[in-house]
Amino acid sequence: MSDPTDKAREDFLSEAQEIVETLSRNLLALDEAHRQQTSDPSLINEAFRAVHTLKGLSSLFGATMIGALSHNLEDVLDDLRLGRIALDTHVLDVLFKAVEGFGRALTMERDATPPDRVPSFIDDLVLQIKKMGAAPGPSQDDMGEYEIDPGLLAVLTEYEEHRLRTNIQEGLSLFKLRVRFDLATIDKGLEEIKEHVKKFGEIITYLPTGESSSIEFIELDLLVASKHGFTELNAELASAELVIEEVPRRRAAEPAPPVAAVADAADAPQVRPLTTNANSLAAAPQSPGLLAETTGSLRSVSQTVRVDIRKLDHLMNVVGELAIVRGALARLAERLRGEGQRQSATDLLRLHRNFERRLAEMQEGILEVRMVPLGHVFERLGRVVRQISRDLGKEIRLVITGAETEIDKLIVEELSDPLMHMIRNSIDHGIESADRRLLVGKPTTGTIALNAFQKGNHVMLEIEDDGRGIDGQGILRRAVQLGKVTADEVKDLTKAEIFGLIFLPGVSTREEVDDVSGRGVGMDVVKTNISKLGGVIDVHSEEGIGTKMTITLPITLAIVSALLIRVAEQTFAIPLASVSEAIAFDDSGLRVVDGREVMTLRGTTLPIAHLDRLLSLTRSMTAPRRQYVVVATLGVRRLGLVVDQLLGQQDIVIKSLGKSLSEVRGFAGATELGDQHVGLVIDAAAIIEEVLTTSELGARVARMLHG
Amino acid sequence: MGDIVKLMSHRSLRRDTGEREAVREFLGVMLAGQAYGVELTRIREILSPPPLTPVPRAPQHVKGVCSVRGQLITVIDLRLRLRLDESPPTRKTRILLTENSGEVVGLYVDEVRHVLRLMETEIEPATAVFGNELSEHVIGVGRPPGHVLVLLDLNSVVPR
Repeated sequence: MSDPTDKAREDFLSEAQEIVETLSRNLLALDEAHRQQTSDPSLINEAFRAVHTLKGLSSLFGATMIGALSHNLEDVLDDLRLGRIALDTHVLDVLFKAVEGFGRALTMERDATPPDRVPSFIDDLVLQIKKMGAAPGPSQDDMGEYEIDPGLLAVLTEYEEHRLRTNIQEGLSLFKLRVRFDLATIDKGLEEIKEHVKKFGEIITYLPTGESSSIEFIELDLLVASKHGFTELNAELASAELVIEEVPRRRAAEPAPPVAAVADAADAPQVRPLTTNANSLAAAPQSPGLLAETTGSLRSVSQTVRVDIRKLDHLMNVVGELAIVRGALARLAERLRGEGQRQSATDLLRLHRNFERRLAEMQEGILEVRMVPLGHVFERLGRVVRQISRDLGKEIRLVITGAETEIDKLIVEELSDPLMHMIRNSIDHGIESADRRLLVGKPTTGTIALNAFQKGNHVMLEIEDDGRGIDGQGILRRAVQLGKVTADEVKDLTKAEIFGLIFLPGVSTREEVDDVSGRGVGMDVVKTNISKLGGVIDVHSEEGIGTKMTITLPITLAIVSALLIRVAEQTFAIPLASVSEAIAFDDSGLRVVDGREVMTLRGTTLPIAHLDRLLSLTRSMTAPRRQYVVVATLGVRRLGLVVDQLLGQQDIVIKSLGKSLSEVRGFAGATELGDQHVGLVIDAAAIIEEVLTTSELGARVARMLHG
Repeated sequence: MGDIVKLMSHRSLRRDTGEREAVREFLGVMLAGQAYGVELTRIREILSPPPLTPVPRAPQHVKGVCSVRGQLITVIDLRLRLRLDESPPTRKTRILLTENSGEVVGLYVDEVRHVLRLMETEIEPATAVFGNELSEHVIGVGRPPGHVLVLLDLNSVVPR
């Protein structure tokens, strides 16, 4: 990483990744627009720009695969935006394939094992893209009833001219919006105007007028095509900084069109005919298109910083160590007070409180930086759904809610593969064929809902389909066939336990095996990956109605609030996210049900586990008479852990145990407690699963899953 | 520790004069009263033991975990790993930090003695000396003048 070229390359890869994601977003929006038989030329133009940038970047870094792809794609997108070829499903398909191609190529580049020659999938893609190539475009000179000054036409880019012609041909009216911007805030102002004007029409170009009344202001003429009339537009848009006029038509009377009346337009700039603007351009320092583009891109560069997540981890470690210093300060203050130095102690405590507050702010700030919206992953899934549903000939409607829900960047990265797999399963195994759906009285289009929302310190992710549901009996048959369970044991299984079997290697929710899914590998991997993130999956399914899988994940892996407890003279931390309460332990209320200890907590049954026995801890003294129960929860499951002592709450940085301890179950890692001591962090999820397996079989299943 | 520093500077002196063919350096350590050697290049650091936190459910030879400048380190008791007798820590007890497949691991030893330079001819291969049981963790036996020590293979001693 220290090698500057490595760093630059890393930057290139992440930038390329972002561009490809933007491209994918644009294509999805285009696809949506296309299905609704509308079109948004700005989307195609954005896609074109994205690919253009990518082409430039990849040639800089010698990324030949990406270069070849973007070069050819750029041509097609150029043809598209200039109207030389029409956007149809086939074109969209190829474009989506190209995005996948970029993804694969990027992965290969990232692994730093780019093959010697361009791999065949790139060649295939390039071939497909080339096939779409355009017939020479019709070059009409027809500007309809508008007389456009040749001077203006000369400064328009080919694309802008194309849009101008198209709009005129579609019978839209042209307007010139003269807008005055404060130089200091032009970036923001321009964005706002763009957003606002877009609602009423298309902005074809921006031309600086070069005649501002003051050096603190700059004036731009926006050439806008709109289906609205002048009066309407004027009412909606005009202000002290924005004056609208119609571009004169050929048949219109020769003098200048009526000047827009503005209420308090005493200092409004003089309105001039459009033609003069183009002339004044000669004096303008940059071409107009460039100006608009540079203001846009400069802005994003200046406000965004890309940071390696390891640097944030490091900062978080420093915060953790500062927290230890904070503890030491408090102890020092106490000592001073004990020694009778009251004044110094008070001063020190005040400093300590101040330090504590700032430290908390800093910690929060770092955490905030690590958070990203789930939307990024959801977009990728949108692509997957489109692809698979087309491959399988199923019509799927993907409904996404909560894309703005934020979660730790590291979790997001690890989440996309498991989610992708689960969605595949839903489409392939869950959603029935259109015929079958008609037969059972469902709409032919299947629905997959992807919901995300925050719940306390957790993020919940739901993947729900309205398909055929999981065939519990089929799973049991398969599990028995594979020898995972015996026919005898099957009788005792609850519904939830049966669904739990789909997470065993080799068990599939489908009989036939195909390309998409069904090999019975996958759900076990999904489960393992989710567990690694400290999450759990719950399955609910109704035959004939649908399946819902709920993933519960912690919001961040970096720092957590934990309850410190002691048992058998050892200190442990239990993340508070999985603790609902802690109460005094009363062993007189203990009962044994099904060979397991339970107690009654406010009218409900709470299973109990003694942490010392569970972890085989040895005591040098007998357990204290007064013990406590920490109620750990995970989704709907609860478990009471009996401990000796509650030490209080502390924010901890969890560090994972090394590879040599990877076999050890029940711990999420370890954390520094101060005084150089390390405390182990209990993995409540793992412990709950381990204990809450009712039968002997349950325990076996749990061992298979975790052991 | 004084010896080590001296020996190490001596080593670099010798290296500068170009005399380094087929010489391997080992750090002599004591385990249950017996002398062992570990390859010096594999040792990053020698520490006085920080407080160790035992890990329940871990293999028996895992002494515990500790934090070294913010990094979490698993400490392996070499005596238990080699099925030798365990004894309580003394003021000579040390932890050697070594890196094994990307993970920094601590090795708990009774004592660190000195650095030994062994010619290839002074190293007897393991199979010639031991049965298969022990030889999996052993490179061989070093026989420098006046010493005998078992040379440990750190790749095999530290479990993956």
